Amino acid sequence: MTADVLSVVVLVCLGYLLLTNLIYVALIAVAAVENGIRRHETASQDYDVLAASRFTIPVSVIVAAYDEEPSVVSAVESLLGLEYPEHEVIVVNDGSSDRTLDRLREAFGLEPYEVFVRRVFATEEVRAIYRSVDHPNLVVVDKVNGGKADALNAGLNVARFRYVCGVDADTVFERDALLKGMRRVVGDPARIVGVTSHLAIAQDPGKIMGMPPGKRPVDRRPLIAYQHLDYLRAFFNNRLAWSKLGFMLCSVGAFQIWRRDVLEEVGGYSRVFTCEDIELTFRVHERFLREGRDYEIHCLPDTVGTTEGPDTVRKLISQRERWQRVIAETVWHYRALCFNPRYRSVGFVGVPFYFLAEVLAPAFELLAIISLPLAIVLGVFSPMVFVVMCAAIAFVNAALTACAILLDDLQSRIYRRGDLAWLLLLAPLDFVLYRPFIVWARLKGSCRFLRRDKNWHKFERNVRAPA
Amino acid sequence: MNELVLRVAFVMLALALPAWIVLSLAVVLGRARFDRQRREPKSRALGDREAARLVRRVTRSARTEWGKWRRVAALARLELAHHPAVPRLIRSVLGDSDPRVATAAIRALGDVGDEWAIDLLISELRKGIGPRSRIAAELERLAPAPGPKLPPLLRDWNPAVRFWGATLLEPYPELGESGLIALTWDPDPNVRASAVETLGSRSGDAVGAATLACLDDSEWFVRVHAARAAGHVLGATAAPTIARLLADERWWVRTAAKDALRGLGTESVPSLLSLLSHSDPFARNGAAEVLQDVGFVDFLAADSPGSSLLERIYAAGGEKLREAAKARVEGIDAQEVRAA
Repeated sequence: MTADVLSVVVLVCLGYLLLTNLIYVALIAVAAVENGIRRHETASQDYDVLAASRFTIPVSVIVAAYDEEPSVVSAVESLLGLEYPEHEVIVVNDGSSDRTLDRLREAFGLEPYEVFVRRVFATEEVRAIYRSVDHPNLVVVDKVNGGKADALNAGLNVARFRYVCGVDADTVFERDALLKGMRRVVGDPARIVGVTSHLAIAQDPGKIMGMPPGKRPVDRRPLIAYQHLDYLRAFFNNRLAWSKLGFMLCSVGAFQIWRRDVLEEVGGYSRVFTCEDIELTFRVHERFLREGRDYEIHCLPDTVGTTEGPDTVRKLISQRERWQRVIAETVWHYRALCFNPRYRSVGFVGVPFYFLAEVLAPAFELLAIISLPLAIVLGVFSPMVFVVMCAAIAFVNAALTACAILLDDLQSRIYRRGDLAWLLLLAPLDFVLYRPFIVWARLKGSCRFLRRDKNWHKFERNVRAPA
Repeated sequence: MNELVLRVAFVMLALALPAWIVLSLAVVLGRARFDRQRREPKSRALGDREAARLVRRVTRSARTEWGKWRRVAALARLELAHHPAVPRLIRSVLGDSDPRVATAAIRALGDVGDEWAIDLLISELRKGIGPRSRIAAELERLAPAPGPKLPPLLRDWNPAVRFWGATLLEPYPELGESGLIALTWDPDPNVRASAVETLGSRSGDAVGAATLACLDDSEWFVRVHAARAAGHVLGATAAPTIARLLADERWWVRTAAKDALRGLGTESVPSLLSLLSHSDPFARNGAAEVLQDVGFVDFLAADSPGSSLLERIYAAGGEKLREAAKARVEGIDAQEVRAA
């Protein structure tokens, strides 16, 4: 009886594994076509014309900063240095408990000014607004802590331009990041309401971004390198394909361009969810599809910057646990979209895919972890099955990762060849060295979702060498 | 059961392991090839066979998206090599119904920068297959300035063309003034807005009168451009009229009025002071904000901190304006301020 139950459970897990991997392979095929098209598009684009033209749409860049003392100055410097005809940088200090505001004051010569702004979104109290003596396009908003969504809404109240770009204060950007992000928007601003793009991972982004593209090293610490690979897979294997198929469901918080009137229409960033980015993307899709309006949300394959990744397992688990929680919260909240013809590919493919590949994954992973060894101990399966199955999963993962590395390198040619080889060699070991932590984090996140925990559990910033 | 699972696992492994090896080799070898090519820059010249192949690719219309971009890439390669067929090929690509493909030809026209390129770009601006903002960007960077060919656009039947005609005339203050003034009465508000925006870079009584008239336009975005333009054209004489817009019902108009008054500097102070006791709270706090931004509040806070005028400004701007001013002038010597 036990043996029968175990056999069935293992078969179900195997079926799940095969199904999800088949979907991933199909998505990669779509992503490869999309990547090729974008590559040709990039090659035919003249960024100098966009950068010099007065007709390029101005953008308000909004940075939500909470306890970002070590990274905030380099992040803001990289934003002020963006090559773009007209942009403003709005830093929202969300009641930091460290010296974030002091660092900004010292670095940019801030002076307090009273600015009467539109209160489109209700936020926690704004204590003061600062302008920079040295940079006329820098505004710093100091407010009472209210979470990232609240900080971004405060930034939206101050924003003056038609497009806004929400970014993280722990990310350092390429000089042409905004140009790359806005290049598609400029061609069709009436239809393109949102854009996101790929970001790399490093322990100290400022250090990595100091090197020119083509000679840039990959952060070789295994934990960071595996996160980098995770991002590559997420963007190149999945989001590019989602974008092509019309269900780009996650515009990442570290770089998300939105048309401001759309954000105003849907009510801005929500404070109800653990994280704001994925939910906002779902909400925009839901609104536009419900009203039958023509729109597009894109994910681009260009690497627009490098963001800080947790450098310890504890911090990584804390971050990924939160991500799992917000995915579960969002999919649950928007469950009515599932298989509803009004929501087209979002309802028929996007939300069910999220449910299958993200929300259900921890349950199947747990089942597999328990049932397969138990089945071997009880003699239902031979140890050979366990060994071959583990090797198969490891190399399926490695092949998917190699696809992502190939698509990224074809697009950007940023990293050194030796580093690419290092990443390719790390790929098969992902299953043993990295995946267990992610499985644990996802299980924790799912449990916390079921307990309705909505704390941010922000990971401590990495220790960096002094500049 | 054991056999089945083992077989499935073996099949997965048999597919995945070679796939990983092949893909890894593709990454490393592909990158090595790219690095080698980068070290030896590609020659601009094309062999006859390659040129003929590329010309064929551009001439053939493509149905798939992939094919369209290959067509665009071929055109870019031919253009780089200054192939004599480029003008003919650009014309053929411009006719593509896909605006993204047409945009590639528009970009190529900007690179060519010749009289015929200007004519083609203007004709595309009229047709509007590619994005007009992109065509305008290319027209602005052309070496032979397209200015003399732009005024006829102001009389086009299509409002979008009149809009771009007015916008593109901004760098040519000697051209199309009467046409632009006439367009401030255009039935299309977008055209009125672009006309008044362009008039903002000019001077003269007729221009001033036209911008002032637009301050009362029924569309808020025309008033936005009119406020900025009036500040530039008329200077301090327009300050009282612009200051009235601080009480406008639309936030963007009030913001534009603030920008215009800020641009006038201390010359706007008398008009702003008269608004400190306005019945509209937006007008009061807007006036206080601009007085702060032009440095008048800091001057009073340093020079005569207890003055009734400063208190009136604080009353209009609120407690935070007072705190911000105090923080700014802290440590500043009043003697120095007076001397300045």
